[in-house]
Amino acid sequence: MSEPVRLGLFYTILRPEEKWLLAAASARGISLEPMHDEGMLFPIGGAPPPVDLVLNRSVSHIRGLYALRCLESGGVRTVNNAEVTERAGDKILGSLALSRAGIPTPRTIVALTEDAALRALDDIGYPAVLKPPIGSWGRLIARVRDREEAEQILEHKSALPSPTQSIFYVQEHVPKPERDLRILVVGDEPIAGMVRRSTHWRTNAARGATTEALPLSGELSELARRAARAMGGGVLAVDVMEGPKGYVVHEVNPTPEFKALQGTTTQVDIADRILSFALEAAQP
Amino acid sequence: MTNCPECDAQVDCGAMIAGEIFPCRDCGTELEVLATAPITVERAPKEAEDWGE
Ligand SMILES: Nc1ncnc2c1ncn2[C@@H]1O[C@H](COP(=O)(O)OP(=O)(O)O)[C@@H](O)[C@H]1O
Ligand SMILES: [Mg+2]
Ligand SMILES: [Zn+2]
Repeated sequence: MSEPVRLGLFYTILRPEEKWLLAAASARGISLEPMHDEGMLFPIGGAPPPVDLVLNRSVSHIRGLYALRCLESGGVRTVNNAEVTERAGDKILGSLALSRAGIPTPRTIVALTEDAALRALDDIGYPAVLKPPIGSWGRLIARVRDREEAEQILEHKSALPSPTQSIFYVQEHVPKPERDLRILVVGDEPIAGMVRRSTHWRTNAARGATTEALPLSGELSELARRAARAMGGGVLAVDVMEGPKGYVVHEVNPTPEFKALQGTTTQVDIADRILSFALEAAQP
Repeated sequence: MTNCPECDAQVDCGAMIAGEIFPCRDCGTELEVLATAPITVERAPKEAEDWGE
């Protein structure tokens, strides 16, 4: 008889997603220990927490990343692992990985100074989209309509204190319909998809887009699977736009919220699927 | 039991664990359970720049 698997849930806020994960574990009689990120200590070289695997659900990219590194170094397995989280949680690293894998993605230029960003914007053409490399929920993403606006926005950006606010991710504006698509991949399997509709050009559910189920065609499933693989695999939410030349993947999220997605389907219990994946990954 | 840092009303976070977010029933402020022994609540955190999904 092998010992029962012990899982940890590394989190910041108990959102419905985290509550569902805890409930799914308790329904299956699996130990899933809540580990609040704000209170954790990671002694370097010290003993790791007594769990086999930690599921990262922290809302902070940086907290999650360092915690994962510390845990992995102590021999604890992780979902998603630090490498995948680092890549997918940073739009620059993510775009590099998508491009290397030959996945269609919007044309993007990285610039390291305000002047270079202006040249990148001119090169991409207007309207263009400017995003912080790390961030989510559509925050601090700007659509830049012309050069005058570009100069204003850049001046404002470089006045912000954070160093990553002065690294510029400049992207072509994709003239998509008033919606985009989100596909959740768990392991190597696309398990659910949704359409996010909004009259606003940013269609994040967090910004009030309405959501409905998206039946996954073979083409979309394959695209989502390839995008998840390009990040290194795990629990990943693939964001897709419908461009004039077909689907483009604009980002892949490493610690996805799935409340809105779960609301569109009764076919799949997302928390339970994530838990199954974590259990499998925890097997020696 | 503890008190709302905004309006001082009593708030009951019976079975909650750290990180739970709930509105104060008196003033509606979003509160977060910081710790359970002893129970401490604070205004729910504002999103930090690297927060996301
Ligand atoms: N290049 C683009 N062209 C048109 N719309 C875009 C573009 N990039 C993002 N958007 C819109 O903005 C939303 C948020 O962008 P995204 O890159 O997913 O960042 P976040 O991490 O904040 O979700 C997308 O869901 C999409 O609706
Ligand atoms: Mg997104
Ligand atoms: Zn109150």
